[in-house]
Amino acid sequence: MMVRRIGRFFDDRLGSDSAVRFFAAKIYPDHWSFYFGEFALYAFGLLVATGIWLTFVYDDSPARAYASVVALSRDAPVGYLMRQVHHWSAVTFVAAILVHMARIFFTAAFRKPREINWVVGILLLVLASLTGFTGYSLPNDVLSGTGLRIADSVLLSVPFAGPWAADVFTGGGYPGPLLLSHLYTIHVYYLPMTIAVLLSAHLGMVVYQKHTQFVPEPAHVVGRRFWPDYALRMLAALGATVAVILALAGTFEINPIEQFGEYRDFIVPNPAAPDWYAAFLDGALRLGPAFEPRIVGHPIPAIFWPGVVMPSIVLAVVIGWPWIDAFVTRDARKHDVLVAPSGAPWRVGAGVALIVAGFVLTLAASDDLQSRTLHVSVTALVTFYRWALPFASLGAGAIAAVLARNVGSRVKRRRSEPERVVTLRRNARGGFDEERPSST
Amino acid sequence: MTRAALIVATLAALAATVAAALHLSPALLAWPAALAAFAIAAAAGSSALALGGRDDLREPRHERGPSRLDPLPDDIVTRGVFGRVWLYALGAFAVLGAVPFLALARKPAPRGTAWAAGARLVDVDGRPLRADDVAVGGVETVFPEQHVGAPESATLLIRLQDDALRTRPDRIGWAPRGNVAYSKICTHAGCPVAIYRHESYQLYCPCHQSVFDVLDAARPLSGPATRALPQLALDVDAAGFLIARGDFTEPVGPDDWWRTA
Repeated sequence: MMVRRIGRFFDDRLGSDSAVRFFAAKIYPDHWSFYFGEFALYAFGLLVATGIWLTFVYDDSPARAYASVVALSRDAPVGYLMRQVHHWSAVTFVAAILVHMARIFFTAAFRKPREINWVVGILLLVLASLTGFTGYSLPNDVLSGTGLRIADSVLLSVPFAGPWAADVFTGGGYPGPLLLSHLYTIHVYYLPMTIAVLLSAHLGMVVYQKHTQFVPEPAHVVGRRFWPDYALRMLAALGATVAVILALAGTFEINPIEQFGEYRDFIVPNPAAPDWYAAFLDGALRLGPAFEPRIVGHPIPAIFWPGVVMPSIVLAVVIGWPWIDAFVTRDARKHDVLVAPSGAPWRVGAGVALIVAGFVLTLAASDDLQSRTLHVSVTALVTFYRWALPFASLGAGAIAAVLARNVGSRVKRRRSEPERVVTLRRNARGGFDEERPSST
Repeated sequence: MTRAALIVATLAALAATVAAALHLSPALLAWPAALAAFAIAAAAGSSALALGGRDDLREPRHERGPSRLDPLPDDIVTRGVFGRVWLYALGAFAVLGAVPFLALARKPAPRGTAWAAGARLVDVDGRPLRADDVAVGGVETVFPEQHVGAPESATLLIRLQDDALRTRPDRIGWAPRGNVAYSKICTHAGCPVAIYRHESYQLYCPCHQSVFDVLDAARPLSGPATRALPQLALDVDAAGFLIARGDFTEPVGPDDWWRTA
């Protein structure tokens, strides 16, 4: 058979059969929550496939970029669909990474020895968001152009080096002659290549360190063989991801740039709001204080605090979480067995607090719309969200922690109750006698 | 089940190909393609279930580090001449790599606008404006003549009642016949300050909701902006057209570290 002959060809030269045997027989734990990372992986595959197609029609010159994307949507349904699938895949990619990360967090899969992979995962999330943002900006429409202008202002606000970096990035001023060309190279080359490298490291570490599991048996990996069991499950997940993204792309239009118009620095869409995964930063810019101190005459713009300092602190805490967690739990041992979220209520509380904080900031990014529909002034909404940010997130975290503890103690009680064994024995009269365990 | 799903996948893929070839609507292309992918998922899923099999197969977890045998000898790690040579070599290469990138950076020139003394105010279609062209209560986006769309130059021309403006002593005569002009680039994050509420004389930025007081030198009233929108000094030329007396006297747009004016 053909496959066998090809296999023998490679085995003769590389001894590849032993590797095939090793990977085919490798055991992977199975649980529905382990598939979110895979959804992200397949969304990335779709992004690369549709992205390569899109490079053949996109024109990165400032004068023709917008027209090239509009023409692509107008001329053939394939082109329109490619862009829709690309954008929906990007949204799915970031969303799947976030859910995957939440799963890792709440089951404490990041603990030693997997801290390195947690950090790699966070870097992948940052890179995925940056790739999304640079790609979103490429059509040079007025909505993304406005977002890009804000990003440029955030970069400008960095003390000392910011203005220099911004100048190199745009080619001088804003929009700058080189802005789109730089964005394009970064979007199709530097970022995806870095993602590919880190993704390989991410998956390589999972194979090498072996997957975590819920089965409380630390000495063994308990699950299914890769071939054929897990491979078929992966194919099913791949098909499902592709099907869902295609159906979304064919049904719901995303980012209809034809309706926005080309970017001009004196026109602004109203309301102006970014893609959902960048909205928390926009919300932070809206809530940030009008505070612009000067250091020996140099201004530190107000936008620096919510635009650079806040995200840096959040990122530092998230990256450092495995060590913070180890410090709090005073647990520096290695773990391969996951804990159910109910097993660590305080961790549930911390995670929920962070998620709610992100949610509040995201909501704040549409305070102008809420002001219009609710007939409340924007100033009042800003005040409301400024208070909601600490109180809603801490409150929700506390409630989540209490709920998790209740669930946890119920689980523990159920486990500690002795199993009630009742033995029925046929008696001479044809009926049954109950035999209870003697210890109770 | 598996076979049926594979047949569906094949047919759906063919249908998608036909839809693409015939330039049918994107939805008619997407849905068969989605169906094909879903059928593949169903085929794979049903095959996986048909395998039945056990999900409690076991494989030992091996300890991955720390290495107990043969810890690395000290002189491999840092000690002696090796450590120093490698450290210097790495440092040298890092500098060699970083210098060209640092050389890219130059202190950005101050971002001037296209406004100059005597430049006529034109609307976005390039029509010059007279002092009465904008009605009281009205607003117009203006540029210097010949420079419509020039970066950082977008300006708002607002017409007020003659005595409404609270003119600052150093700005007397900047607003002939109630025509007052402010930069349209927000001092917070560079968005166009696109909305004018003439009943309250407020300019409003749709990006982050900064509000500026038109009657009082466009001073920020609320929102995250800290600096007033720069005012453009206006005049009327001999032919009756509005002109600028010069460029803005303050920097336009968001602040940065090197903007020490």
